[in-house]
Amino acid sequence: MRKSLLLVLVMMVAVSVFTACSGSQNTGKGTSDGGTGKEEKVALSLWHNFTGDDLRARTMREIVDKFKNDHPNIDLNIQAIPPDGYKARLKTVAAANEMPDVFLMWPGTMTKEFQGGDLLQPINELLDSKSEWKSGFLPGSFDGFTIDNQIYSAPMGLSPTSILYYNQAIFDKYQLQVPKTWDELIKAVESLKSNKVTPIALGNKAAWLAQSSIISSLGDRVTGSEWFLKAAAQDGAKFTDPEFVKALELLQQLQQAGAFQEGFNSIDNTQMEMMFAQGQAAMMIDGGWALTNLSANASKEVLDQMGATVLPSVPGGKGDPNTTSGVVGVGLGLSKKVEGKKKEAAHELILAMSGPDAQKRTLEANQLVSYKVELDESKVSSLFAKVYKLMNSVQRTPVYDAILTSAGADAVNNGLQELLMGGKPQDIAQKIQDAQAKSIQK
Amino acid sequence: MRTFTAKRAFVTFGLLPSIIIYTVFVIVPVFWSAYYGFFDWKGIGEARFMGFGNFTEALGDDIFWLSLKNNLIVVVASVFGQVPIALLLALLLRKGTWFQRFVRASVFMPMVLSSVVIGIIWSTIYHPQIGLLNGLLDMVGLGEWKKAWLSDPAIAMWMIAIPIIWNFIGPYLIMFLAALSSIPSEMDDAAAMDGASGTRKLISVTLPMIWDTIKVTIVLCISGSLKAFDLIYVMTNGGPAHATELLASYMYNSTFNVFRYGYGSAVSTLIIIISLILIAGSQLLMRRRNQT
Repeated sequence: MRKSLLLVLVMMVAVSVFTACSGSQNTGKGTSDGGTGKEEKVALSLWHNFTGDDLRARTMREIVDKFKNDHPNIDLNIQAIPPDGYKARLKTVAAANEMPDVFLMWPGTMTKEFQGGDLLQPINELLDSKSEWKSGFLPGSFDGFTIDNQIYSAPMGLSPTSILYYNQAIFDKYQLQVPKTWDELIKAVESLKSNKVTPIALGNKAAWLAQSSIISSLGDRVTGSEWFLKAAAQDGAKFTDPEFVKALELLQQLQQAGAFQEGFNSIDNTQMEMMFAQGQAAMMIDGGWALTNLSANASKEVLDQMGATVLPSVPGGKGDPNTTSGVVGVGLGLSKKVEGKKKEAAHELILAMSGPDAQKRTLEANQLVSYKVELDESKVSSLFAKVYKLMNSVQRTPVYDAILTSAGADAVNNGLQELLMGGKPQDIAQKIQDAQAKSIQK
Repeated sequence: MRTFTAKRAFVTFGLLPSIIIYTVFVIVPVFWSAYYGFFDWKGIGEARFMGFGNFTEALGDDIFWLSLKNNLIVVVASVFGQVPIALLLALLLRKGTWFQRFVRASVFMPMVLSSVVIGIIWSTIYHPQIGLLNGLLDMVGLGEWKKAWLSDPAIAMWMIAIPIIWNFIGPYLIMFLAALSSIPSEMDDAAAMDGASGTRKLISVTLPMIWDTIKVTIVLCISGSLKAFDLIYVMTNGGPAHATELLASYMYNSTFNVFRYGYGSAVSTLIIIISLILIAGSQLLMRRRNQT
């Protein structure tokens, strides 16, 4: 009896010692290491989602590792969270007001919410002190991160969400041209269909794909960006307006022409990219993020056959057809609570991960950036070089889910699934309108 | 007397950790979440008190009722699928020969797989192009029966009920086997002496003897079905267009996709209430049957 009591006591002491140790690492006060270093160590926490095995994630991890080695006085506490769970984790710590010091965040809605919750501090100071770096960004790069002239982050990437990828070999085989207008697209679809080739691969299980990649651009072609921004703000335009219903009808027309393979609502975008990479479909409408996956899964010959363009123009559309919907990518946010020495360290980290050098390396890792860099084509895949050229020749329009409220975007996602199963465009437009109107009131 | 109190103190002391953990991590959050249900809260920033607003909104939402309907499909499929199949298998596999043990192990196997693995396996079986099911139909010349099993809203829910049934037969089978083996052999002898055998013995002797176990499995079945989430999340994520939305996935989406924490909390409170009603109802139904 006594012995076991002793054992319990010993264990309790041991446990409390361990927790005390790990606790001191998290307190952020920093511990001086026995007088060897003159300076006090600065503890800094970083959250990112570069956990994958793709080129970009590997490059970013290398940059972080190098930063760690170069700055022995900074005690960097890194949390790498897989992309699928990252947003939810970040939102949860935000709800508890326990933000990490530096973290990856998205432009638009997320930045606005964090700023509204008083969780962020601007990085204007840092940007202004490195004017060469600041001026290197493409026009509009900071828009999604700017609130009341305060810039809260610098984008580390660029994501066009709507690119029409096509397989030139299949087009040549059936003597088809890459469609430039909506009618040409429908004709190409019919011709491919009669030859028993899937015209367009689609994987809309996760529901955001049709919204982000198809309707964001198609809608813009029909309605113009100005209408969309007004409708999103519920200021002088509604989603029940005939323009938007027309856009929905066009998408439904495409589906009814048999453009998509059977069961597109039950496969996800990775499977869709595989279908296209294996030459099972002539076209695919997907974002710039497909490039890494395609480069990894398609052989070089197939990859060289692939081309990329923007969605075709629509008859009587109000929007500029030479555009693609797109957003600047994630950037590093800085927690409101960071100050003094810690802030200097955080600034250095942000510069290391999104500065000119990092932007160049990101581009060479087959990830588009919103920054002026000369591309060395020998370092990337041929398809990536094509998309890079395309992006330099077209304008960018807003993406639906970056502008709409979460509830509004959710209604669009589900509405498009319904539309592609034969739902009535007017009814779906009404649901989207209701959801957006309701969530914007609050 | 003294030893008795000492024992009781010791028992209480021993139970204390689990009671504390259970209270802190289950009981308190349940009430806490019910409390959040009365607020309009985005997760960040101020929560605004709004009375029963979230509850009335949920009850007026078509998708909520659709998820409830879908969930009831799962409950019905589970109660009338899992329990009878498990019972039948238990009756057939009582003996425990080599072959029977093999079948038992196979039936139990899905239980040890992660539900993500099961979801992926069945998604592949149902896959519209490369799926096993469509391939099989092609092979036996029933090509025109081929379907996009998970994309067709008319059948998607039933198609998901199949893996749910398949997944959970195992534990009920074990429970029934245990109950059957606890029937004293004197009962068998007595039944034989009275001339009861086959179906007659099953209905008059065996089933009444394990009736309590059946009741427990049905309660587990109902509460398990109302909590069903993981398979749906992996296989369809509630889609297409809410066709396979369940209460739990509806709650998850409104909380973590749309970021309405207050509304999500209200929906989870409603799920608890619905579960309690269903379980109480089933208990009432079975008690009456037990007395007659």
